[in-house]
Amino acid sequence: MSTTTAGGPPRTGAGRTKRGHRALRSLQGVSFVLPNFLGFGLLTLGPVVALFYISFTNWNVFGTAKWIGLDNFTRLLKDASFHTALLNTLYYSAFHIPLTLAVSLGLALLLNRKLRGVAFFRTAAFFPYITSIVAIAIAWNLLFSRDAGPVNQVLGLFGVDDPPGWTASSDWAMPAVIIVGVWREMGYYMLLFLAGLQTVPPELHEAARIDGASAWQRFRNVTLPCLRPTTFFVTVMLTIGSFKVFDLILVMTNGGPGQSTLVLSQYIYQKGLVENRFGYASAISVVLFALCMVVTVVQFAVNRRRNA
Amino acid sequence: MRHRHPRWTAIAAAVTALTLTATACGADEPADSGGPVTLTMSAWSLKTTPEFQKLAEAFQAQNPEVKVEFKEYDAANYDTQLTADLAAGSAPDLYVLKNLKNFITYQSGEQLLDVSDVAGGLGNDVNGLGNYKVDGVTYAVPYRQDSWYLYYNKDLFTAAGVTPPSETWTWAEYEKASADLTAALKAAGSPAKAAYQHTWQSTVQGLALAQTSGADLGSGDYGYLAPYYKRALEQQKAGAQVDYGTATTNTLQYQAQFGTQQAAMMLMGSWYVATLIAQQKKGDAQAFQWGFAPAPQTDAGAKDKPVTFGDPTGIGINAAIDEGKVAAAKKFLTFAAGEGAATALASIGITPATLTEPVVKAYFGVEGVPGDELSKFAFTTHDTRAENPVSPQTAALQNILQETHSAIMSESTPVDDALRQAGERARSEVLESK
Repeated sequence: MSTTTAGGPPRTGAGRTKRGHRALRSLQGVSFVLPNFLGFGLLTLGPVVALFYISFTNWNVFGTAKWIGLDNFTRLLKDASFHTALLNTLYYSAFHIPLTLAVSLGLALLLNRKLRGVAFFRTAAFFPYITSIVAIAIAWNLLFSRDAGPVNQVLGLFGVDDPPGWTASSDWAMPAVIIVGVWREMGYYMLLFLAGLQTVPPELHEAARIDGASAWQRFRNVTLPCLRPTTFFVTVMLTIGSFKVFDLILVMTNGGPGQSTLVLSQYIYQKGLVENRFGYASAISVVLFALCMVVTVVQFAVNRRRNA
Repeated sequence: MRHRHPRWTAIAAAVTALTLTATACGADEPADSGGPVTLTMSAWSLKTTPEFQKLAEAFQAQNPEVKVEFKEYDAANYDTQLTADLAAGSAPDLYVLKNLKNFITYQSGEQLLDVSDVAGGLGNDVNGLGNYKVDGVTYAVPYRQDSWYLYYNKDLFTAAGVTPPSETWTWAEYEKASADLTAALKAAGSPAKAAYQHTWQSTVQGLALAQTSGADLGSGDYGYLAPYYKRALEQQKAGAQVDYGTATTNTLQYQAQFGTQQAAMMLMGSWYVATLIAQQKKGDAQAFQWGFAPAPQTDAGAKDKPVTFGDPTGIGINAAIDEGKVAAAKKFLTFAAGEGAATALASIGITPATLTEPVVKAYFGVEGVPGDELSKFAFTTHDTRAENPVSPQTAALQNILQETHSAIMSESTPVDDALRQAGERARSEVLESK
């Protein structure tokens, strides 16, 4: 923004006008982003910076936050519930990311052909993503009902005698949540993959076909490499989304039964908004932030090496 | 360079204007000194929760110089929103303490005015008042004190030929009646179960804490819950009540379970009386004869005062209130906890904190409230212990016990293991880390 520098070379008339134009241009630019930046600074950047400070304090919202150094973090090391939440988050992510990736890519490949009613099927696959999460939770909980639920009835048809209790069982609650998570988000990522598939040059496929490549070989050696930027983007978004999964679990199982589906963001919510321990909750948030950060950086590094 | 100035100033002017408008909105009204006073009070869902209007109207009828205005909050996020307002200094003069769990947050955060003088003038008739006392100082007064009863469907009991509950019912009698009901209802081909137990942890833990001598939420020893959980599990195993997994996966509503005669008995708080009457009137609930009895007791010796549980709902004064309004605010608190407000609240089916003769009369004068002797006994005679004893650790301990509840009721973890783990977690995560 500062364009006038003291002690610069003597200005010629032409230079001044040029500089004036540039200053004007950048000012115009700044004025365009200013409203957005103000909102971002006020509602996102400020709170995030404050979060780091609060994580080193003991604060119950009222009065001033008391600085306690690393106490919150050393406590996290011993906090068994935090460990459970962390492991559950990793459990969810470890299945949710690859499954969603595979299902959404599969759907995109399926719906990238000239089929009758393809627009309808694409829309249908997108529906779960725009449906209210509370409605989804109620409907899926009904489907998963142990005795009368359609899911177990279908399993019964296939000869499963002792079907799982799904959301009412501590062993099966997480798989149930993962299934719903994948179902909910597949449509969105399918859309991204569909967009990516449009950029695959048809002549490459044609050339491969002339060379006698099978469908599988063409998929491995033509489609997948061309999709790499999309796959990378989808993986990063999915990873961050999985680490901070919250609403789905809150409305479907509320972390239960027991602590079987307790995840990090829910633990943050519990400690912060339910127990009013904002310092401790902030410390957990910092850990979650670091986790997302590290994994994303690794993904970027791997991606760069592959592209090189 | 020259034409840059006007635009720059325009932007600056616009920004200044915006900031000024924003601050103007937040400016406080000048305090009233003498003469008419306007008190602001927090409330939620004003359209469906008539108790606040009722309180204010009854108070203003006696004190025309004081005006009570409401600041409405979202019922589900009440404490979060109120906390934000208190921290920002924009909370109302009087605020409702919706539950006992968060009272300590406001008290320890120095957001409540000392109202010991108000409490001192109230006498001993106000139920639940003692809960708001911390280190000898009272910080709020209750205006309603709900208690848990055993609701029962008289028609289903008659149809099954089972003797209905009595004043001295013990858990053993409850279990016997439950077994008889289950057999009789099944034989008659009725879809109804003997009882419905809602999915909340209170349905088991509230009574266990209140009725077991020596039980202490803050002790980290949860053995006292074991008999109550074993009974609940036996009941669902015997088919006397819908099992927990079905209740959670089908998102069952307790109002619908009892209101559409799916269960002959149900333990629930006294607030349900007004709900059930309203639902029967509207047709959301079926028409049938019902009543409420004291919660079953561990032994018949508790006859004089059956032990049950429930948290009071209180009102406190914002510590940041204008000096000039304090006297009026204290007057309001005195009124809210007293007989005048209690009678007004009872007339709309609410269980107030003060239960004197005229209040009881007003309550049973409400159309639809069951007028039988047992219901009257349950309403007037009980020893109601707090579900959430006031302590900075209660919220965290209840979180642990909530997880324990779902682990046990879903039969994921055996009762004794789950309670032992709860104790270990309570000690390592809450009690020893303070």
